[in-house]
Amino acid sequence: MREKSWFREYGLILATGVAVGIAALVLTASGNPKNMGFCIACFLRDIAGALGLHSAANVQYIRPEIIGIVLGATAAALAAREFRAKAGSSPACRFVLGMFVMIGALVFLGCPLRMVIRLGGGDLTAVAGLVGFIAGILVGVVCLKKGFSLGRAYPVRMGEGFVLPGILVVLLALLLAVPALLKFSEAGPGSMRAFWGISLAAGLVVGVLAQRSRLCMAGGMRDALMLRDFRLLSGFLAIWVTVTIGNLVLGAYNLSALSQPIAHSQYLWSALGMALVGWGSILLGGCPLRQLILAGEGNGDSAVTVLGMTVGAAVSHNFGLAGAADSVAEDGTYVVGGIGTAGMAAVAIGFVVLLAITVTHLPKEEDASRG
Amino acid sequence: MREKSPRLIVTFHTTAGAIATEQLCRRLGLEGKLISVPRRITSDCGMAWSAPPELWEILETRLEEAGIETAGFYELLL
Repeated sequence: MREKSWFREYGLILATGVAVGIAALVLTASGNPKNMGFCIACFLRDIAGALGLHSAANVQYIRPEIIGIVLGATAAALAAREFRAKAGSSPACRFVLGMFVMIGALVFLGCPLRMVIRLGGGDLTAVAGLVGFIAGILVGVVCLKKGFSLGRAYPVRMGEGFVLPGILVVLLALLLAVPALLKFSEAGPGSMRAFWGISLAAGLVVGVLAQRSRLCMAGGMRDALMLRDFRLLSGFLAIWVTVTIGNLVLGAYNLSALSQPIAHSQYLWSALGMALVGWGSILLGGCPLRQLILAGEGNGDSAVTVLGMTVGAAVSHNFGLAGAADSVAEDGTYVVGGIGTAGMAAVAIGFVVLLAITVTHLPKEEDASRG
Repeated sequence: MREKSPRLIVTFHTTAGAIATEQLCRRLGLEGKLISVPRRITSDCGMAWSAPPELWEILETRLEEAGIETAGFYELLL
């Protein structure tokens, strides 16, 4: 009885975590960049590049993983009769929040999911990101306790819920039928990719399972901190354990803070970038992965957030805000990467913007006294 | 392992609604606690208020008086 109850509580979320971890390992083994089997921020950035929204030649490719995740969530939601077209919860603010979440993630070089995958590869530079992410979530939790709200969403016509899945179906069709219309990296992370069918299948599996289990890194931390409920968080622990074991078995585990794949050792800015992601994700009600899942379930506000993240990726690369990975020069010198002044300014502006959105969405005095 | 018992679950359109309910119930001395919305109610990942089922009517009234918008009331074994 006890086992049955525990299995019902944790079985699906743990299975989802293990599946995401295995999918990340398979994708990396099939050609995706190291420690980047999955990265929602990086893959949206690659899609922005493939569409010509930015001109960073090394990060341009229509990532089928993103398409699979959203369509998997749509299929799962439709099958379970949970597809609900709704919208109207401060879409413009969500767009802006999505932009700054993406800017923060690209300063760190990864979304919360990739942060866990980096940790699973032994990348100690990601610890700074984790510390910042938790700090950002704590700030977000304080905002929630003060009554922060972007307002409720309302039911809308069914077609509204299919907009983002529809856009992604078109992108998949372009990738397969008329790739000449798109940009493809010939070097760098964007050129490292698994066969599209494997990527799409992995995304579909993750999309279905994440929709069923509600996997969310920010929500997991929020529930753990506010409710002492560790179910969602256990999913990410399962990803970390799975990726760690997988990398150890495959001989790809490298416990070090130096020469990690697509990572930099500017710890302060890694932490601040992920603090922006954590705070923004709590204000949005979910991490970048969760936004994809919600958009797949018909949530138009999350679809707008995903579009905001895509534009944020373009802004990051057009204005030189994104982090550069550490590298080794031809003479063997270790070159520390990180961000420049523009990136630092963007993170600072991000905090100001998040604060402004928070303050303007707190209950008015009369509401507070009534509620 | 505690036995499951029937609980009244109140869901909201926003997290702010759940938190306002917690503050209201603390002020009125009404028993209950915030929980993660049970998966069997919705695929949303917000918060819900869990209370003894006998508080159904009083909670409905008090929340309406306080202007806190709810999404639904459910009785579940938790």
